[in-house]
Amino acid sequence: MALLDVERLSVEYQTLQGTVRAVRDVSFSLPPGRALGLVGESGCGKTTLARALIGVLPRNARITEGAVRFEGTDLLRLPADQFNDYRWRRIAMVPQAAMDSLDPVQRVGDQMVETIVLRGNLTRAAAADRARELFAMVGLQPDRLRLYPHELSGGMKQRAVIAMALALRPPLVIADEPVTALDVIVQHQVLQTLRDLREALGVSLLLITHDISVVASLCDDVAVMYAGRIVESGTVRQVFAEPRHPYTMGLRNAFPSLRAEQEHLVPIEGYPPDLAHPPQGCAFTARCPFAIPRCWEEDPVLRAEGDGQEAACHRAHEAPVLRVQAAEAFARLAGDEIRSAPREAC
Amino acid sequence: MKRIAFVLSRLLQTVLVLLLVATMLFLIFRLMPGNPLVAYLDPTFTEDMERQLRAQFGLDKPLHVQYALFLRNAVRGEFGNSFFTREPVNEVIWTVLPNTLLLTLSALLLAYAVGIAGGALLAARRGTWIEHWGIPAVLATRAAPEFWVGMLALAIFSFSLQWFPLGGATSPGSVFASNWTRIFSGDFLQHLALPALTLALYLQGLPTLLMRNSMLEVMDEDFITFARMRGLPERIVVLRHAARNALLPVVTAFALGIGYSIGGNVIIETVFSWPGLGRTLVRAVAAKDYPVAQAAFLMIAAVMIFMNFVADLFYSLLDPRVSYERR
Amino acid sequence: MSDAERTLTLPTRWSQAASSWRDALGTLAVVARRDRFALVGIIIYVAFFAIALLSPVLAPYNPQELNYLPGGDVAANLPPSLSHPMGTTNLGRDIFSQLLYGSRAALMVGFVAALGVVILGTLVGLVAGYYGGWVDTVLMRLADVAFGVPFLPMAIVLVAFLGPNIWNVVLVMTLLLWRDTGRIIRAQVLSLRERSYIEAARVLGASHTRTMFVHIAPNVLPLSFLYGSLAIGWAILTEASISFLGFGDPNVISWGFMLQDAYNSQALARQAFHWFVPPGVCIMLAVMAGFFISRGYEELLFPRLRRR
Repeated sequence: MALLDVERLSVEYQTLQGTVRAVRDVSFSLPPGRALGLVGESGCGKTTLARALIGVLPRNARITEGAVRFEGTDLLRLPADQFNDYRWRRIAMVPQAAMDSLDPVQRVGDQMVETIVLRGNLTRAAAADRARELFAMVGLQPDRLRLYPHELSGGMKQRAVIAMALALRPPLVIADEPVTALDVIVQHQVLQTLRDLREALGVSLLLITHDISVVASLCDDVAVMYAGRIVESGTVRQVFAEPRHPYTMGLRNAFPSLRAEQEHLVPIEGYPPDLAHPPQGCAFTARCPFAIPRCWEEDPVLRAEGDGQEAACHRAHEAPVLRVQAAEAFARLAGDEIRSAPREAC
Repeated sequence: MKRIAFVLSRLLQTVLVLLLVATMLFLIFRLMPGNPLVAYLDPTFTEDMERQLRAQFGLDKPLHVQYALFLRNAVRGEFGNSFFTREPVNEVIWTVLPNTLLLTLSALLLAYAVGIAGGALLAARRGTWIEHWGIPAVLATRAAPEFWVGMLALAIFSFSLQWFPLGGATSPGSVFASNWTRIFSGDFLQHLALPALTLALYLQGLPTLLMRNSMLEVMDEDFITFARMRGLPERIVVLRHAARNALLPVVTAFALGIGYSIGGNVIIETVFSWPGLGRTLVRAVAAKDYPVAQAAFLMIAAVMIFMNFVADLFYSLLDPRVSYERR
Repeated sequence: MSDAERTLTLPTRWSQAASSWRDALGTLAVVARRDRFALVGIIIYVAFFAIALLSPVLAPYNPQELNYLPGGDVAANLPPSLSHPMGTTNLGRDIFSQLLYGSRAALMVGFVAALGVVILGTLVGLVAGYYGGWVDTVLMRLADVAFGVPFLPMAIVLVAFLGPNIWNVVLVMTLLLWRDTGRIIRAQVLSLRERSYIEAARVLGASHTRTMFVHIAPNVLPLSFLYGSLAIGWAILTEASISFLGFGDPNVISWGFMLQDAYNSQALARQAFHWFVPPGVCIMLAVMAGFFISRGYEELLFPRLRRR
């Protein structure tokens, strides 16, 4: 049985501009012990999805349909206090901008202990021990527990929040852009920490990011999100080596790679659609170099393409051919501007 | 080091403002129509007293000399004698000052205690009828004239129900061993109750709305969301995390409030015949007892300006602890 | 969306400037439409205005006139009756008539003082914010002194010396209360000064005065209105306080005067609620109306993000 099974989840926001459908009919599964990366550009709904899973959405957001099954139980059908039992004990989250997530007038250690005592039913003394243990696990010195958040660096705050997420040994951790706000060297360190923790604790991870290289280095599976929908999913190997959705192909070309030499960096021209008025057909059509008339009218469904890989594209079966043409096709859309990636040592 | 420089510069500014206000006062009293000596001399003073006062205040010298003498005397705390009681003005002032301070402090403490709780409640009950009607209700307490509320309170609780005395700080004819026993006596407290409650009712409007505003801002912050993600009970989220952060501007306002309400006490003291600085000022102005009027005004201004300075200091002390910016 | 609305709904970026004073004034209509309480406030003022205008017609008696009983005695301290809906004072004057006429003093003082405060405060804010430099420093030091002066004591002292005339009261309020408005307007001007449309105006040859009054001023005006409506409330309260303390104009029957009269005539002991409750209620309503309108502006100028 999957650890997490999301079925047809939709989330809307009420704004002054109207109703924004941020998450539209999203379904995916996370088997126990695996790491799933959720990739997409800003505004595609990933954070909203994450917050819906842990049940802490902004006041103007609403889950309009769907189910979130955790170890078989649909969390959305639970009364509030029962759902709360799952929070942090079974599902924990490292939010975006973790550095702002710590109470500025309380010492970091006290925040950890508070969490453990209130949610874990340990005594203060036991909680304090556990806090020291957790800090050590993420590579922070225990004397840092006495500090206030503003006395820690960005990387240290990030690790502190990761430590807090692991405090009650949850089987699932959702990490929303855990390294985006950090500089490259610290990014590497924190990613390494996450990798080590996964190995040591066997925690399942749902990693949300816009950076596919992070997903490539840390995750087993990946789901690509665009305009509130999942447009492709599969193992990291499948999706990145052999993408079946034009958006994924475009992403690959847009990101520099430290592994292989990449001659051209090609952006995906254009902007995501306005989710207050989502288009009738496929949301990617306006930016897609392979669009056909059908794309404008009919929104493709996420369909299995063999081997557990899924894609939502009318031309998914043509993927091998399209892949080869992708770089050039996107470049043409971008107005023939082919830029070179800086030469770098591997 | 920077901190010391900041404190010193603020202190200097404070002294400067006080100086300017004192100067304004000096000019106002000198520019009065009529005999310029009227500020210090009452026609019924004896010759000796007149001569002494002329010398002390240089009343027949040119204006700038008078000004210098005025400042010197002000710093020394000498303002001459009251026209009416012949007492040195100092004594008058120092007798009534504690009464004003006690009234102001007790009213402020009560107002802020209630206001903080009320503001937090309004913020927590956002969008409900409690907020919808609560805010106009709080505004009403600020819109109703203090003296009118005082009059209502007196009419109902003192005259009609006779729960509280009719005015003053102590029952007439009562004697106390010392100022301290007087202050803690039941009689004094009974007299203090109604004026303090009335003043507190008026004053709580500010901390209530301020706390509400502050809480609403804080509740939108990421660390509050994170506290909820951790599944902490809502009570803890609101009290231990939101409220503690929201209190910062309120605490600053409290320090400022001491200064401001000292000036406004004039009204409450008059309605309840409370023997404080404000009432002394009003009666002195009405009776043209200028030495007392001058001194009372200066004392009120000095307390206020000084408390502004303290509030500034306070804020700068608490501020570096907080890592994010406030509007 | 009307220009007036745009002035209010894009406040933090002020990217679309009010193109005229008319737009700025039109913001009042927008506020009334959006905020129920602000509308109530406006209605209250209109009502008081009407009463003030029509008081000679509405009042059954001359408020200063002593009334007599058939027997020849003064009709003192009468309880409410048909002939005197709110009873009489201890000198036999009709309270209801006093109440109606009191609206004149309140509105006059309130609006004129508020106007004075707003004009002075806005001017100071505009000049200080626009020119900066030593002009700014001098003006802000003046503001510091205004903040350092305890308001009511100073008002008492000044009125006592200038004379208990209602216009002196208004003058004193204007001289002391401009400080809050001035500070806020200055802050707003400082941020507006850097906008490109201001630069464009200067490049096109607009003089300093023109830039200040034609381009910047309409955009700080909603803020002036906000503080103006607050100032009306403060002014009415202050006048009432000064009258109550005995320094008011003895020839003007204001609500504050009525309360002083009642207090000094032992109305409290006599439980003459009909005398001292109505004037207080009127003051409260008039001040609250000002608060409501200013809150209406505040909600629109500084919208708290209700929906993220």
